[in-house]
Amino acid sequence: MNLAAIFPFEYPLPTAFYLFWYVLTLVIHVVFMNYVLGGVTYLGLSSLAGRPNRNELALMLRDWMPFAIGVAITAGVAPLLFIQILYQKAFYTANLLLFHRWMIILPILIIGFYLTYLLKAKKVADWSYPVRVLLGLASFACFAFIAYSWTENYLLSMESQDQWAAFYGSSDIMYDNAAKLPRLGVWFLGAFATMGMLVGWQLWYKDQHENVKLVSILAIIGLFGSAGCAYIYKGMVDAHFPAGPYLYLGIACWGAQLGLWLVQLAKAKFSGMLLTLISVVCPLGIVGMTVVREQVRLAAIDLEPLYPLHKAAMGVAGIVCFLFFFLLNAGLILYIFRLVKKNWIGPEMEAE
Amino acid sequence: MTHYSSFLADVVYFPLNDFGPAMKGMIIGGLGIFHVFVAQFAIGGGLLMCYFQWLAMTGREPHARQFLDGFYKVLVLISFVIGAVTGVGMWFTSIQISPVTIGVMIDQFHWLWATEWTFFCLEVGAGYAFYRYAKYLNDKARLTLLIFYAFAAWMSLFWINGILAFQLTPGGWHDDNTALWQGFFNPTYFPTLFFRTVTCMVIASLAACVVINAMPGLEREDRRRLILRCAHFMVTIVLMPVFGLWFLAVIPADSRSWVMGGSAAMTMFANISIGATILIGGYAVIGLFMQRLYINGATATLLMALAFGATAGGEFVREGIRKPYTIRKELYSNSITPDQVATLREIGSVTQDPYPVRNQEQYPNEQVILGQKVYRFQCSVCHTIEGANGLMHLTGAWDVDMLRKNIAKLQQLKTFMPPFSGNAQELEALVQRIDWQNEGQPDTWPVSNDPAVLEQNKKWLDDAGTQPGWPKALAKSE
Ligand code: HEM
Repeated sequence: MNLAAIFPFEYPLPTAFYLFWYVLTLVIHVVFMNYVLGGVTYLGLSSLAGRPNRNELALMLRDWMPFAIGVAITAGVAPLLFIQILYQKAFYTANLLLFHRWMIILPILIIGFYLTYLLKAKKVADWSYPVRVLLGLASFACFAFIAYSWTENYLLSMESQDQWAAFYGSSDIMYDNAAKLPRLGVWFLGAFATMGMLVGWQLWYKDQHENVKLVSILAIIGLFGSAGCAYIYKGMVDAHFPAGPYLYLGIACWGAQLGLWLVQLAKAKFSGMLLTLISVVCPLGIVGMTVVREQVRLAAIDLEPLYPLHKAAMGVAGIVCFLFFFLLNAGLILYIFRLVKKNWIGPEMEAE
Repeated sequence: MTHYSSFLADVVYFPLNDFGPAMKGMIIGGLGIFHVFVAQFAIGGGLLMCYFQWLAMTGREPHARQFLDGFYKVLVLISFVIGAVTGVGMWFTSIQISPVTIGVMIDQFHWLWATEWTFFCLEVGAGYAFYRYAKYLNDKARLTLLIFYAFAAWMSLFWINGILAFQLTPGGWHDDNTALWQGFFNPTYFPTLFFRTVTCMVIASLAACVVINAMPGLEREDRRRLILRCAHFMVTIVLMPVFGLWFLAVIPADSRSWVMGGSAAMTMFANISIGATILIGGYAVIGLFMQRLYINGATATLLMALAFGATAGGEFVREGIRKPYTIRKELYSNSITPDQVATLREIGSVTQDPYPVRNQEQYPNEQVILGQKVYRFQCSVCHTIEGANGLMHLTGAWDVDMLRKNIAKLQQLKTFMPPFSGNAQELEALVQRIDWQNEGQPDTWPVSNDPAVLEQNKKWLDDAGTQPGWPKALAKSE
């Protein structure tokens, strides 16, 4: 196997180094972001039903949503850091061109965040139908808009200098690009499969199996929907679309997930074995798709002039410090699990 | 010279935005003050909770646990949501205001920022575990979680403080761009770290007083005892003058001169900050600590508002005294480096700017459009046309020759401004753009291209030179 032909090794070492960190941290962000997107979409849509949704899935999602948002945001900070080293001007330019449109995601994130705390409150179930629907749909809309904004920013960052200048001159607020929706669809619908994996574990841990079919069906619909959108998107960016190991990895993991969820669908309970297998192929599939996503951008942006800068960035001190605290704090976070388990004096642990 | 950041090698043009009547500094400053206040509340809150957990464990304070549970909910709702999102907001806003500054800083400090990020993760992990499970855990585990949380929160201050202090006093790093740690542990690092730590403790104790007053089921005497416990934290405020004076002693002489009367606005803001701190300190030390007074919710809220005012004044001063730089001696506020000025004087500052002026039909001729472009690139980061710090207000009574001369010698006009970085034609275009506005924006406006005028412009520019301005009275201190 020719290693030099495989992402990110086809790039000089410093560039490959930052691409590696970027993709790794983005994958972590995507996993939690998917839980948020899939979760608020399900909660939002199910609020349309007449009675408050009190099934195990909805209760679990509501309970954990604020935490998942906190983690998704925190996990977003790391790729936000690396993208600035990798693409610099392109990323900043897209941010500046979108201006108010971009900045508005901050208040929307705050509103969406608080709405999920509110949704968690037990008394919401006693509120009237229109208010419940409003709350559910509003929190869904907030996060859908944030996801949309990231997609818009990504696509705009790949345009040429002339197109940027024309967009700036036009004072337009929204960036018009037909690829926006199918691209967003890839993430949005794919989110159900990742959410299924995470919430599947949560329900399995608590021995709650009432919604095993629902979770499986959501994951399967998500997988099909995401593949359909990916196909449409591919047609739009054909010139830049890579065929290579990561695409095949993505497709293979997609197929494997589909198969595993179909098996899970036929079972009455969440299976630890199936969830374990899904937990291998789902993140791997995300890695595949995230690399493909990056390759599309790398084909559109000329990165070569930035090579010396990546090299210079790699030369600055601090990485040892980072690695030290990365390991230390990862260790402390793991220790927290142990600490909580060992010092539990409340009722049976499962109750929580 | 090799550059550690592309942004220092060549001028990079961005599609700069106009914030209407608001100065860009007001946008980043406004959000910054808010974010800093919330973040300091979270850090101090972590430390305060460790103290109360210890009081609970040692039986020193029977209601400590009850306080902890109430206070923690407030902390989570404010700091986990607003703190986290405004933190990301600071980043986004910095990009909007000065992508070059943030780009240079990222190139230099990304691993330290990444290190800070690992502490965010720990903060979220420990904080959330406490939020969810504290009621089911024994005291030892509760204290451990709180220590993790407080440690992580304070460490995020530890890291970001070095990066912010660096912008004003890069220290030994300035001579050796590879000496990252010298830049990080720079002359203002420790005074600001200690100062901010005390601020965190004071803000958190004030917030705690508000919470204690709002907590149900407590007798007045119980509340009083809890408040007096908080006062122990608050008295650290007496250390502030020490750290403040230390800071003042190590900042550059010109920066110091702004706060000591050189700039009316900065002196005023510094005094507001000091005045508000003295009021809070007086109440905390004399009223609470010495006379063991009770503080009700309204007074506590008022003191919080004063603390917010003090923070606002302090942050304004911190941002202001960096001028004309965003990174001292490396990068001017308008994203031009001192090394680039001479080149831009030759080739023109916006000759290569690919972004057109918006709404060109509003302007009477090409020269005024060029002037607008020069204004956008060189001035708009600190000025507006008609709004805050507006050029119309500043130059409204000047005649055209005064405009020409003063702008050509910008760094001498006020040493907190960078040198003008364009050629004689651009200077004239900017002058015409401002004058056209001052004259009420008539539909037609003559093009000013008299060779004698351009010659005079060039002479003034040459006289001013390309170096930053420096007050003569401080000549020895540079
Ligand atoms: C919980 C709310 C959020 C949602 C739903 C969300 C969603 C998304 C989506 C859908 C993408 C992929 C865009 C695409 O490839 O078309 C993305 C990418 C990304 N997100 Fe998030 N995001 C959220 C919050 C954040 C926050 C707060 C940050 C920063 C701290 C962040 C950082 C990033 C970064 C750096 C990327 C990659 C952008 C690029 O490569 O151009 N996200 N996010």
